[in-house]
Amino acid sequence: MIYLDSAATTLQKPPAVARAAAGAIRTMATPGRGGHPPAMAAAAAAFACREEAARLFSVADPAQVVFTSSATHGLNIAIRTLAAPGSTVLISGYEHNAVTRPLHAIPDVTVKIARGQLFDQAAVLEDFDRLLTPEVSLAVTTHVSNVFGFILPVEGIARLCRERGVPLIVDASQSAGCLPVSMEELGAAFIAMPGHKGLYGPQGTGLLLCGSTLPQPLLAGGTGSESKRQEMPGYLPDRLEAGTHNMPGIAGLLEGLRFVRAKGLDRIERHEAALIRRLASGLSGLTGAEVFAGREPGVQAGVLSLRQNGWDCEELGEALARRGVAVRAGLHCAPLAHQSAGTLESGTVRLSVSAFTTAGDVSRFLQEMRRLIR
Amino acid sequence: MLYYLFQCRSLTYAQRTAAALERAGISAHMLRSPKSIAGEGCSHSVKVSQRNLTDALKVLHRVGLDPVRVYITQGDGSYREVLL
Repeated sequence: MIYLDSAATTLQKPPAVARAAAGAIRTMATPGRGGHPPAMAAAAAAFACREEAARLFSVADPAQVVFTSSATHGLNIAIRTLAAPGSTVLISGYEHNAVTRPLHAIPDVTVKIARGQLFDQAAVLEDFDRLLTPEVSLAVTTHVSNVFGFILPVEGIARLCRERGVPLIVDASQSAGCLPVSMEELGAAFIAMPGHKGLYGPQGTGLLLCGSTLPQPLLAGGTGSESKRQEMPGYLPDRLEAGTHNMPGIAGLLEGLRFVRAKGLDRIERHEAALIRRLASGLSGLTGAEVFAGREPGVQAGVLSLRQNGWDCEELGEALARRGVAVRAGLHCAPLAHQSAGTLESGTVRLSVSAFTTAGDVSRFLQEMRRLIR
Repeated sequence: MLYYLFQCRSLTYAQRTAAALERAGISAHMLRSPKSIAGEGCSHSVKVSQRNLTDALKVLHRVGLDPVRVYITQGDGSYREVLL
């Protein structure tokens, strides 16, 4: 199979990830739930994972690294903490439903949208500058569009937010493990990310990097700390980690993080960018293909969308699947991004790569496309 | 043997405390706090030997990890809070 759906889940993982997850099932209990070796082994793995993430994302205190079940989980915590009913929130035009639906669920929230033009970072930044007005109490931006791979100017957006005293939530779902993400440099209130994409961990894992705001828990329950009190602890990570931890997931995620560090973000970034350029170049030679590729360097990560004249995107996705090519078609849970790019009615076929995708995978995919559409 | 227990506000802080002490060459052992000192119920502590108390407190202060409370073992197996 040619796997080009890493923006959903990286399927190929470092072998140590599965080994660690299986080992955790055999040897680990739950952190903080006992002084016996299986509980302490779990505690050690969880702490090592927090430390590894804190290093990779420049978080000063590993306690500010919170385990979640997904980026969506983390985004829900962050948004429910900072978006009050009746407030005004500014978001980019490339947000996923993991941002827009939680906002929609809060009563009377006014959502302003900084759309910009696809692959035009300056235009997005201008829109944020224009729309970040005094009534805005929260800004949310994705770092990389999950549909188009568009790298948003997150550093500039963060600077505007800091200057105007507006807390910022960053969705790093498509950038964590692929591009530099620094809590220290961005000064964000929260950065949410999944574990199972660019960090190569198992599904069901995620991280929420927390700034100085004390978050509101989505779940209440046992934490193995301050058990006499009925309020959730007032400190992290306990405040947000009620219930038994996903230790196989966390142990696997630790190995994924170690892989990213060993491989090097620069190397992964360069590798993915080269593959996307190769895909864009190959596809642009096909009759009837409309390829959404950034012209300037540094505006597109390892995700690319296309439309093929005469083909429904879902039918093209199915046809490719029958030929052994895994892609994702449709709206990618991001109707707002499609609306911003003018592809809401058609949807697109999305191709996405990882550190394990090869130039040979790209060549074979292009070969299958040529056969399919001739 | 007499030893001190540094009570920490969470498991993660206890882990950070133990790691900071070990990095400074001070032997430290993390454990669940004895029920008698656990305060609000269920916490973690870090155990250090009597001779390392001063150095350990200096290290922890430097890295911003001052313990919530410090206890010393008594001859009868109980703990007494040490006011610093």
